Amino acid sequence: MRSENLKTVFKQDRPFFLAIPAILWPAIFLYIPLVFLVGISFLKSFDYSVFDYSVIDALTFNNYRLLFSFTYVKILFRSFYLAFFTGFFCLLISYPIAYFLALRVGRFKNLLLFFLVLPFWTNFIVQVYAWFYILDVKGVLNTVFLKLGIISEPLHILYTPTAIYIVMLFCYLPFMVMPIYTSLSKIEKDTLEASDDLGAKPWQTLLYVTWPLSLSGVVTGFFLVYIPSFGEFVIPTLLGGGKIMFVGSLISYFFLDTKNIFLGAAFTCVSGLFLIISALLIFWIFRRYAKKVGGIYEK
Amino acid sequence: MREIRLSNVKKSFKGEVILEGLNLTIPSGEFFALLGPSGSGKTTLLRLIAGFESVDTGSIFIGNKNITNVPINKRRVNTVFQNYALFPHFNVFDNVAYSLKIRGLKKDVIEQKVIKILKSVHLEKQIYKSIHQLSGGQQQRVALARAVINEPDVLLLDEPLAALDLKLREKMLVELIDLQDVLKTTFIYVTHDQFEALTVADRMAIMNSEGEIEQVGTPEDIYEFPRTSFVAKFVGTTNLLKGILRAEDNKTFVEIENLGKFEALLPKNKKWVCNGCNILMSLRPEKIEISKTPLTGFSNCLEGQVDSIVYHGRSTQYYVKLKNGFLLHVFEQNEEHFPQEEIDYDDKVYMYWQKENVVLLEK
Repeated sequence: MRSENLKTVFKQDRPFFLAIPAILWPAIFLYIPLVFLVGISFLKSFDYSVFDYSVIDALTFNNYRLLFSFTYVKILFRSFYLAFFTGFFCLLISYPIAYFLALRVGRFKNLLLFFLVLPFWTNFIVQVYAWFYILDVKGVLNTVFLKLGIISEPLHILYTPTAIYIVMLFCYLPFMVMPIYTSLSKIEKDTLEASDDLGAKPWQTLLYVTWPLSLSGVVTGFFLVYIPSFGEFVIPTLLGGGKIMFVGSLISYFFLDTKNIFLGAAFTCVSGLFLIISALLIFWIFRRYAKKVGGIYEK
Repeated sequence: MREIRLSNVKKSFKGEVILEGLNLTIPSGEFFALLGPSGSGKTTLLRLIAGFESVDTGSIFIGNKNITNVPINKRRVNTVFQNYALFPHFNVFDNVAYSLKIRGLKKDVIEQKVIKILKSVHLEKQIYKSIHQLSGGQQQRVALARAVINEPDVLLLDEPLAALDLKLREKMLVELIDLQDVLKTTFIYVTHDQFEALTVADRMAIMNSEGEIEQVGTPEDIYEFPRTSFVAKFVGTTNLLKGILRAEDNKTFVEIENLGKFEALLPKNKKWVCNGCNILMSLRPEKIEISKTPLTGFSNCLEGQVDSIVYHGRSTQYYVKLKNGFLLHVFEQNEEHFPQEEIDYDDKVYMYWQKENVVLLEK
C-alpha cells in the first residue's frame, strides 16, 4: 500500500516533495533569521538565558532614532558611492573587453575566456592579499613604475581609498564582463551586417544596434557588481587598513566589537532598505533609458 | 547604364577556393537569378557584391565605377537576408527608416518615404508594431521595404523565401516580380530552388558545385537549351542517354547501344561535334508522348515496359524500362477525367518524340 502511494507520487510530472529542500533551506537559513533580525532591531534588550514575554514591553524605535546621525548616514552614502563607482567603472572597462571577446576575437576566444574566469578558481581573500604585493610601497607596481621612470618616488597607495577602489574594480570585473559577453554573443551576426549594409558606419552600428541589444547584459552586470559592492567587507577592511568605515565594516563592528546586536540589526535593516531602494531607483532610470533607445522590447 | 560586372573574381576561405576566375555581367534593371546547389558559392558571390567579404583577386564594377575596395556602408547595394535580420529592438517604422536616419534625412521626409514604401508592401496597418508581433511573411516584407527604401542600384536577395510555406512563397514571388517592375532596380536573387528562379528571373545564371558559372540565359533558354549536362540535370528533370553521333544522308542520328538510332538536330557552332563522337542526349520527360498503341507523325519511337507510376494529380509520371535497362522518365498531363487508354504497371508502351525536342550535349 505504501509503495503504491510512493509510486503515484513519483508518477506525477513534478512531484512536489522534491522541492521541499529548496524551500526549507532558504526558509531556515535566510527568511526566518531575517524575521528575527527585523524583530531584534525593535528591541531594547534581550536576555539570552530566559525567554521572557516581557520583551513585548520593550519594543522601541530607539535603535532607529540613534542611527539618524551624520556618522551613520555618511557611511551609508559612502557605501553607495563605492558601489556605484565600482559598477560604473567596471562597465566602462568591461564593455570593450566583452565586445572584443564576443565579436572581434576569433581563434583565441576560449583561451581568453579561460583567463577571465581564472580568478574564480582562487579564494577571494587570497586574491585580495595578492594585491598587497602589488600595491605595497616596495611592491610590484612601484618597482615597475620606478624602473620605467614614470614616478620618482614610490606611491603610497596601500591603506588608502585609492587602493580600495582599484581592488574593487579588478575583483568585480569578471562579474560585469560575463553577462555583457553573453548578451553580445547572442546578437545575430546578420543583424550587425544588416546595419553595415544599410549604410551605417562602424560607430553607428555600435551605438544604434550593438549597444541597445546588449543592454540586458549591461543591467545584469551592473547589479551583479553594485549589490555585493554595497555590502563589501573584505576589501575595505584589509586594503583600507580598517581606517574607513563602510556598511559592511560597521555591521561587523556593531555585532562583533560592541556586541550591540540591537543597533546592529537596526542598521542592517536600514542599509538593506537603502540598497533595495537605490537599486530600484537605478533600475527605473535604466529602464527609461533602455526603452528610449529600444533596448527593451517585447518578445 | 549601371550594370554589374564581376571580372576574374577569386575568393577563398582558409585555403579552400570557393570562386575562381569568375566573370559575370548582370545588366541593369533586370531580375537576375543565381541558381546553384548548396555549397556552389552563390551566397559567397552575393556577399562579395554586397561587400561583406572582399575578393582575393579580381574586380567588381557597378556601371563604370570600380567598387572592389569601396566599403560596405558606401556601396549602393542593399541586401534582403535569408532570416530577414531585422532589428529586434525597433518597430516596423524604425527598421525601415534606419538607413534614412543614418543618412541624416529630415524627419518629415523620412516619415513620408517610410509610409509610402510600407504601403507598397501592404504593411500600412503594421507601422508601429513590434517585429515580434509580425508573421513570417510580414517580416519578409519589412526586410524588403528596409532594403529598397534607400533606392539602391542593386538589391540582393539571399534565399529570401526559404522560411515561408509554399502558398505564401508563391504569393511573395509574384509580389517580388511586381515590386521589381515598379522600382526597376536590379534584383539579384540567390536560390537553390529552380522553381523560384524560373518564376522570377528575366535572366539567370547556373552555378555548379565547383563555383563555376555553367550557363547564363533567360529561363526559357536555360530550360529548353541547356548547354551542359549539369544544367540539363539541375534545372528540371531530364533523361540523359549516352550515345554516338552519326551523320547519314544529311541527317543527324544518335546511336544508342542496344536501343537503336534516333534522329536529332545537329548542334550548331559546337566544337565538340564530330561524326562518331560520344555524346549525351537530353530528353525532357514532358516532351515524350506515351501510348499503348502505335502513333504516327513522330520522328522517333521507343518501346518499353512500365516499371512504376507516380500519380501527382495534374500529371502522372511513368518510369518505363527500356531494352537496355535504362529507366525512361515520362511525364503526362492528366487532361481528362477518364483517359481513353489507361496505362498500368507492366504494360508494354510506345514512346514518341520529335527530333526538335532533343538537346545534344557534350559528354
